[in-house]
Amino acid sequence: MYRDQGRGISMNFIGMVAALTAFFSVWFGHVAVRKIESISPTIWIPTIIFTALGILTEYFVLITDHWLLNTALGILGITLLFDALEFTRQQNRIKKGHAPANPDNPRHAKILTEYPSATTIDLLEREPVGYPSTMIH
Amino acid sequence: MNYFGLIIGVATLLIIGLGFPLVIQGERRFGYLWWPYMMLIGIMFIIASLFIQNDWLSVLVGVLGATFVWGSTELKEQAVRAELGWYPFNANKIKPPLENIIKKWRAPHL
Repeated sequence: MYRDQGRGISMNFIGMVAALTAFFSVWFGHVAVRKIESISPTIWIPTIIFTALGILTEYFVLITDHWLLNTALGILGITLLFDALEFTRQQNRIKKGHAPANPDNPRHAKILTEYPSATTIDLLEREPVGYPSTMIH
Repeated sequence: MNYFGLIIGVATLLIIGLGFPLVIQGERRFGYLWWPYMMLIGIMFIIASLFIQNDWLSVLVGVLGATFVWGSTELKEQAVRAELGWYPFNANKIKPPLENIIKKWRAPHL
């Protein structure tokens, strides 16, 4: 059901396809969530868009019999659904100062006034020094 | 209806979820300079998946490999988080073999 004529005799590429899809889906989500959350005036719109994309992708998975496409889209769809949740988690990081707020975004500007821990500085943008160092940015 | 991809997607999410404690505990106990070894373990898992004929097992091993490779790119930032006090800091980490050579390489971060 999941195999086609392109499959080799001794090598099984489904694990490799799954690994590459997982790696690049996580990378894309990691970057996209941070970028979109930073510039979006609301988080519910991107949350709904990513949820819809995730559900749509999983729907295609259910009606696709191609073994590699089925695997890749299955992983991509679930990653998109997890990214939808990540918008809220990223906003919480902004509130705690664990990710930099964008003062040009009205939602972030409000967070900066309401949460003393929020900051526009990216505290993670440096090399490790090997000792506790809250003062080094 | 073909549920293979959907189940694989959920399984992938669970395996990637293992990556969080892997990075946190790995950095705390060993330090971020172990990143080349973590990356190598991941690549070996992915290569091994090529030789597993069972599709389910091949996918799980491949995704586990991807989790290790991704985790290796997260170790440096996790080290900074621990230094900032967001996670417990351990000063007595186990040093990696070839530490002086690894220190000269730029640790990956995506």
